[in-house]
Amino acid sequence: MSSEFNLKSEQRDNCIVVETTGYINNIGGQKLVEEFSKHHNEGNKNFVFNLAQSKIVNSIGISFLIEVIEKLNDTGGKLIFSNLDPTIDKTFNIMGLFQYAQKADDVESALKSF
Amino acid sequence: MVDKNYHDLVVKLSLQVESFQEGFGILAKSSSLRELAQNFNHILRGSLLVIDSSLYFLNKGNKEWKKLYGKEIDTEEINEFHNQKLNFDIVFTDHKNYKAAVSIPLLNGSHFLLFLGAKLDKSKYNDTDRILIQIFTQLLDNSYQALINNQKEKNLVFELNNRVLQLNSLIDTGIEISKLQELENLFNLALERAVTITDASFGLLCIESNVSGKQVFVFPEGLNSGAIDDVEYSISTELLYQERKYTFRLANKESRNGYVDFDQTDRMLLDAFARQVLAAVENQHLHKEAIEKENIKRELSVAAEIQDRIIPKTLPIIEGYELAGTNLSSKEVGGDYYDCKHLNDGRIALIIADVAGKGVPASLLVSTLNATLNAYLEMDIPLPDLAKKINTVVYKSSPSDKFITFFIALLTPKTGELDMVNAGHNPILIRKKNGELDKVEAGGVAFGMFDMGLPFEGQKRIFEKGERILLYTDGIPEAMNENEEEYSDERLEKFMTDRFSESAEEFMSALISDVKSFTKETPQSDDITALFIERK
Repeated sequence: MSSEFNLKSEQRDNCIVVETTGYINNIGGQKLVEEFSKHHNEGNKNFVFNLAQSKIVNSIGISFLIEVIEKLNDTGGKLIFSNLDPTIDKTFNIMGLFQYAQKADDVESALKSF
Repeated sequence: MVDKNYHDLVVKLSLQVESFQEGFGILAKSSSLRELAQNFNHILRGSLLVIDSSLYFLNKGNKEWKKLYGKEIDTEEINEFHNQKLNFDIVFTDHKNYKAAVSIPLLNGSHFLLFLGAKLDKSKYNDTDRILIQIFTQLLDNSYQALINNQKEKNLVFELNNRVLQLNSLIDTGIEISKLQELENLFNLALERAVTITDASFGLLCIESNVSGKQVFVFPEGLNSGAIDDVEYSISTELLYQERKYTFRLANKESRNGYVDFDQTDRMLLDAFARQVLAAVENQHLHKEAIEKENIKRELSVAAEIQDRIIPKTLPIIEGYELAGTNLSSKEVGGDYYDCKHLNDGRIALIIADVAGKGVPASLLVSTLNATLNAYLEMDIPLPDLAKKINTVVYKSSPSDKFITFFIALLTPKTGELDMVNAGHNPILIRKKNGELDKVEAGGVAFGMFDMGLPFEGQKRIFEKGERILLYTDGIPEAMNENEEEYSDERLEKFMTDRFSESAEEFMSALISDVKSFTKETPQSDDITALFIERK
């Protein structure tokens, strides 16, 4: 797996699906928040972050994810993480991300939750 | 009059108590300074009915004011007002840009400045307004403290969770790397975890050895390892194991405000990761050693079994002759072999051989020799031809580093006629009745070295009554004592010359005792094999 961070997003029904690749660190986290903000400012409130191709995250990357979760909570939005690697899943669990965001096995399951 | 104003104020404030509480509830929920400022603006303007309002913020330690909302106000004006009003103060003025200015110092050393425009009803600010402004700015101050405390609490929870995560990762990594067989995967995983858990930008593991040179692992992959020399912040740790130096290095700790230096926890984590890696490397090494030892043990057991099947348990009884044989295996089972057997034509074959090497390969070659020899001995062919045929078989069935030194004598018991071939083996010693020692030297190369049709020279002689013959392998003359001195050919020949009165069994027993008395406690490094025969 490449550690260089990339992402792409698409509208699926009433939801924005963001698919990431690589290391979610300071750079990755910033890009993720920028992409999120772009869609959020356009009025989108439902998001799925598909992290199938991101197996590594550091605490700075997590702080950006928390920022996204807080913004969505403040505006009545919802975030679902999907396709989580077991290590990432455990990391998010310990860092408390699942208190305010959900997780799903895959994107299709996540979309059904909205 | 004063009483009436006071009464009006009390009435007004009483009516607004609920809205103050509601306002504080809204302000206290703000998740950022800018959101707090926006909320404050809405509440203030809704209550005071002013045309406009501007709020500026000076963070502790900073010199630049930040506009949170409202009109642009000249920086010099702001600084001038701030310098005059370091404490809380409300000033009503006829300034062209604002009609009221409020200085709000905060507990943490930061500062708000609030500028209010004219009131919507064009009336001047009065004492009631002053009290209202004071109440609202107090709400702002309290909400700001709540925001700071809330952020501190969040940061604290985040830090605590992160510590738990770090410990968890350390434990998980230790378990995961102990399961990895490939060292390269082990190093890569440990490095990746060390980088991510300390928020380093990148990391490097360099393994240096005088034997195998330098090996470098980097994370993120594809990074130029030289880049780590130009970083602002880095930490490293070094460990030595089996003449290899393991250097772990992490560079540029990330933060949301750029790179920062690593802290004591990061150093402890890096040390812990490094020790885990070394422990895993050491465990792998010990595991491999244990497997190798087990394999050797199993191999030796197989070799011993093969050798045990081939070496004769008892020697034949030959009228007019007395025989004794011995085979003492060393710790590493070798390829010594001897035999004494009746042939169909009444002759006796006396054989001794020594395969170069130890263990199963040597034992299998002895087994091949034994089978081939048995087949050819029944064909009654001249010994030099027999030697050539066996040489070909051994050459084809053995690796290039394996060969067999071999001696065979065919004895006609009635006449004492001896027909012999020595293929690269130690000289066979014959003690004549007069005490002189004859040696049957090699008449050809050892089996398995060449297959170029080289001839083997046979020798014949009569084994006279009273003569004694000793066939032996190099385990006897090359037996070593603690000074690394050999028992030697000379000592063996002297023993053979001097000892002539004992029976065959007694001679063999005395020979072994002599060798053991020479080597004392030194472990036996090679098989000791000998066959002794005396014509009565």
